[in-house]
Formats: sequence, C-alpha cells, structure tokens
Amino acid sequence: MEKILTKKALPQWLIKLNAYQIYAPVKKENHWSYEALDKPESIRLDHLNTIQSPKMIIFPQREVFFEFHNAEGNTLVMKEPASESSATVIFGVRPCDAAGVTHQDKVFDGHFKDLYYWKRRNQTILVGLACNTPPSPHCFCLSVGGSPHSTAGFDILMTELEDSYYVESFSKKGDTLISLAGDIFSTPKENDKKDKEKAHSDSEKKLKRHIKDLETVPPKLKDMFDSPLWEEESLSCIQCGICTYLCPTCHCFDINDEKDSSSPLSGKRVRTWDNCQFPDFTMHSSGHNPRPDRASRLRQRIMHKFNYFVTNYKAYQCTGCGRCIDKCPVGIDIIEVLEKVRDYGK
Amino acid sequence: MNGETKNIIQENPFMPEPARIVRTYHLTDDVKFFQVRITDMDKALSFKYDTGQFAMISVLGAGEAPFSISSTPSRPGLLEFCIRKTGIVTDSIFRLKENSLIGLRGPYGKGFPTEKMEGKDIIIIMGGLGAAPLRSVLLYCLDNRNLFNRVILLHGAKRPSEMIFREEFFALKERDDLECYMSVDEDDTGQWPENVGVVTTLFPKVKDLDAENTVALVCGPPIMYKFVINELIKLDIPKDQILMTLERRMKCGVGKCGHCAIDYIYTCLDGPVFTYWDVLHMRELI
Repeated sequence: MEKILTKKALPQWLIKLNAYQIYAPVKKENHWSYEALDKPESIRLDHLNTIQSPKMIIFPQREVFFEFHNAEGNTLVMKEPASESSATVIFGVRPCDAAGVTHQDKVFDGHFKDLYYWKRRNQTILVGLACNTPPSPHCFCLSVGGSPHSTAGFDILMTELEDSYYVESFSKKGDTLISLAGDIFSTPKENDKKDKEKAHSDSEKKLKRHIKDLETVPPKLKDMFDSPLWEEESLSCIQCGICTYLCPTCHCFDINDEKDSSSPLSGKRVRTWDNCQFPDFTMHSSGHNPRPDRASRLRQRIMHKFNYFVTNYKAYQCTGCGRCIDKCPVGIDIIEVLEKVRDYGK
Repeated sequence: MNGETKNIIQENPFMPEPARIVRTYHLTDDVKFFQVRITDMDKALSFKYDTGQFAMISVLGAGEAPFSISSTPSRPGLLEFCIRKTGIVTDSIFRLKENSLIGLRGPYGKGFPTEKMEGKDIIIIMGGLGAAPLRSVLLYCLDNRNLFNRVILLHGAKRPSEMIFREEFFALKERDDLECYMSVDEDDTGQWPENVGVVTTLFPKVKDLDAENTVALVCGPPIMYKFVINELIKLDIPKDQILMTLERRMKCGVGKCGHCAIDYIYTCLDGPVFTYWDVLHMRELI
C-alpha cells in the first residue's frame, strides 16, 4: 500500500492510533531517545540518531522472567508476570535500527524460541523514516548491506517529501495503521513517486563514511585470530562496554535473581543486558578465563560481528548506525579497525 | 548449528521445573553429590537426556548455573549432580538439605555419541571434577555392557581425599568387565593403595589398545587436556575419536545470551562435548 500524508496531518494520524502504545523520538536536552509519546501534536521526525536504538523497547535492558515464592506445604511457585497484550507502534525508526531488529530476530528464533522476546516483537509495529540526510556523521549503512531507505524489518516506511510523507506499507499490520485514518491519506501522484525516488538516491550520496571491500574482511578474519592487531587496537580501550550496550544488534544478556524476602522466600528472576567487553563475561567459576585480556575481547566483538555471525546468518552483525563510533570515550572507530583488517599484511 | 536437544520439559525455555533434593552428601570437602527428582511425576519420567548433557539448576533467590548430569539415562527418574562450591549459586546449593526444592531446566547441549561408540573400545580419562560428566557415560557403558568392547577407566585426583566417587570406583574395580585404574598426584595419607602420579602415568598400564577402534573420552581441569591428548595422539587414536567435554561460563543454556559463544558456535548448543578435531580448529575452546 502506498499513500501520501501531509506533514500537518501527522498528529491526526496518531490520534487515530490511540489504542496502540506509541513510542517516538523525543528530544531531551541535547540528545534524542525513544519515549512513550504523550501528545500526538508533540511528534517530531527531525531526529538525529537516538542514544539507544528501539531495541530497548523490544528487548528491554531489564525484564522480569518470573516471580517466585515458597508456598505452604514446602512447594515452590514460579509464575510469569501478567503481560499486556496491547500492540506497540514505534514511530520514526531509522532503517539501520530496523535492520538491527531483524538481526535480533535471528538470534531469538531457532530451536529454542525466546518467548519473552517474541511476545513483544509480535505485537510491535515498526514505522520507519528514511534518512534523507544521515542522522549521524558516522553513518555507514551502505557498507554493511543496508541503505538510508532500506525497508528491512519495517511494517511502514515513510519518506519525507517537501510538505508531505510518502508512506509505504509492507505488512497487514501496516495496512491496518493506515486504514484506521483512511481519509487523511491521499493516493500518490506520479511526481510524488519521482520525488521519493530522488530523495532516496540523494540520501545515498550524502553518506560520508564507507568501508570499501568489506566483503574481503570475513574470510580474512578467519586467519587473524592470532594477529597482533587486536592488541594494538585495544590498547586505549577502557572496557566501558558502551559500544555493545548501544549497538542495535548486540543481544548478550545476564540472568540473576533479585530476592525480596528470605523467609518466606520470594523474589524475581531478571534478565539484564550483558557485555562481552567485560572480563567476567567468560570467567569460569574456577577463575580460569578463556578470554582474559582486552585484545581477546575486542577480537571477539569484531569476529562475532564480521565473521561468526556471517557464517551463521549470512549477514554482518552491524547495521552501520555509527553509535559505537559516536559514543566511544576513547575514539575506537570500528570502520578504522575493519579497514586495518582489510589492509592487514598488504 | 542448533544442538539436537529433545524432550524439553518446559515450553518456555527460561522457566525451571520444581525439583526436590532426594539425597545429598559430601564427596570431598568442597564437592557434594545431589540426587534430584522433578516433583511432577510425569515430567520426572519424561525427562530424557543423553550422557554428557547438562542441566540448569536454580536455587531461587541465589540464581542459576549449568551443571553436567552425573547420572545415566539408563536409570531414569532421578538426576544426579556433583557440585563444587565455587560461587554464589553453588554456595547456596551446598546449604540445601534433603527435601529442599530447587528449579531445574534442560537437558541441554550435545552429549556423547553413544550410538556411534557401540562396538568400540572405550577409554575414559577423568581428572578431578571431570568425573562429574564422565560418570554418566561410564555408568551408561556398564549398564549396556554388551554394546561396547573394552571399557577402560583412568581416574586421577590431586590427593586421596579429593577423589570424587572414590568408594564407588573402588567397588567398580572388582568388576572383571571394567579395566579401572586410579591415581593421585600426591599421597598425603601414606595409605593410598593405587598408583601415585598424574593421570597420564596410568597410560602404561593399559595394554594392547586397538587405537583405530578406540574412542577416548576426556574431562578434567584445563591444564590436564594437553598432557592427556599428547598420550592419546602417541597411541594413534584418531583425532575425531578423542572426545572432550568442556567447561564454559553460561547463563541461558539455549544459545541466546552469548556467554559461551566460541567462534561461530555456542557451547551450550553445539557442546559441551567436542572432538579434539574441533578443538584444533576452534581456538579459545579450552
């Protein structure tokens, strides 16, 4: 389904979607983040990259798996929290972040399905916004198989034209969102289509950062396990883990119990994000650590994204959003690391 | 890449099943034995597993950790674990008395390929707590004794007091269909009746090994692998017939949390049993 929505009518569309929980980019001081939208008229779609990707809504930083308590007669009760069934719409999602969701889908699917993830994922509708200008100076989506107007993972993709949005729906859920406010959309004219296509092709030219010949990196990484490059590149790393916490594709997590009471026993089992850049991530209980230093952990991050994930899922585990470059406190730049891998030994 | 795991008792892979500690006692100062039964009778009986697989045990309030199953699937209904006190979860398990309730989920991972091992000579080399997973396959071989040719056990520990299943294995020594050799690195009692020396010093006692027809199963502390594997290679046992069960920090057990990822695999799905061939091609495994 393809429609035109005038910019003025955007809040009216959102009003028709009151049955959904709506998240949209909100500017807070000097940064953007996805927040529950309180007023439709406050919607803004001129956002730069949000600090966290919408991953945090589908795969939250912290979630309760179940609550437990000791019941009468020495029995153990473990109960999943009651979950809401209302659908969630995330508005203004950038194509790199939607691609990140599709990568997470691969991980949380498989033989063991992560039901907590899929419950939220299945009730989440992604409404994207094509990036007519790069939302970060470090965007490099074109180099990792994406584009500023990629439709991967979206139910709807909007492209900003001069006074309107070109709205394309790719799913039944997307069609429903449009049909709920049917009369405010119009049918695109031939010149709208042309404008959209021009916006798309122009957007690709505005990307400043690229990695040439990235496809040569995965096979090369297979022979670089023992390379001194990892030591060199990780010297400045302070192990803060920001790179992976902000990554729209990283999925590692920890599971812990939070006790509310010891006697009678009650508490919660909680999942929280974890981070492969921390020393205790792989530490055995004996103290032995198969990944004992910064170099081996940086290597793991690069290898996982550009070698192992490629082997398993035929895709880079990176969508080119640029967050890890933007926010690294010591300036480790994944593009530069990958270029060094590409050029290593040349 | 997913491990062939079957008979998962819960639809939600993160939801444990209540289980009761039926029996527990010390094997050594810091290792305890636990016999556990899932409280739901139907689920207890339908919990099917392979030797070498592991389960996640929860002490609610303290957390959850992976443990190899030490019992054999040939004796269903009860699950056995040997647990060393090393952290928060194991510390809490240690304090639990018989009749206490724990959470249990699994079984997970790829175990020993016992069907492929049929008709072969089996040599099991265990060091320290490495006996925990290997006891499962040892008992399985003994319970199905006619399926296997020679069964040989080399069991090493630091000191007599640290040898887990000491009495059980001494009793097994009496069997004439098991070649059982035990050794301690150091005899601080002066009364140890068996070999003294690291576990590799037991190899000369094993006579006329038909290398091509032998499957070796190894588990022990990381340091042990190099020396044991050297011996097995010297004996000309093919690399893909040397099987090891390896340790890895794990949180979910179902290939999601990333902790046990090595190369393109997850230890919890594709391990914990690997061949020496795998180890040569996948760095960081040990």
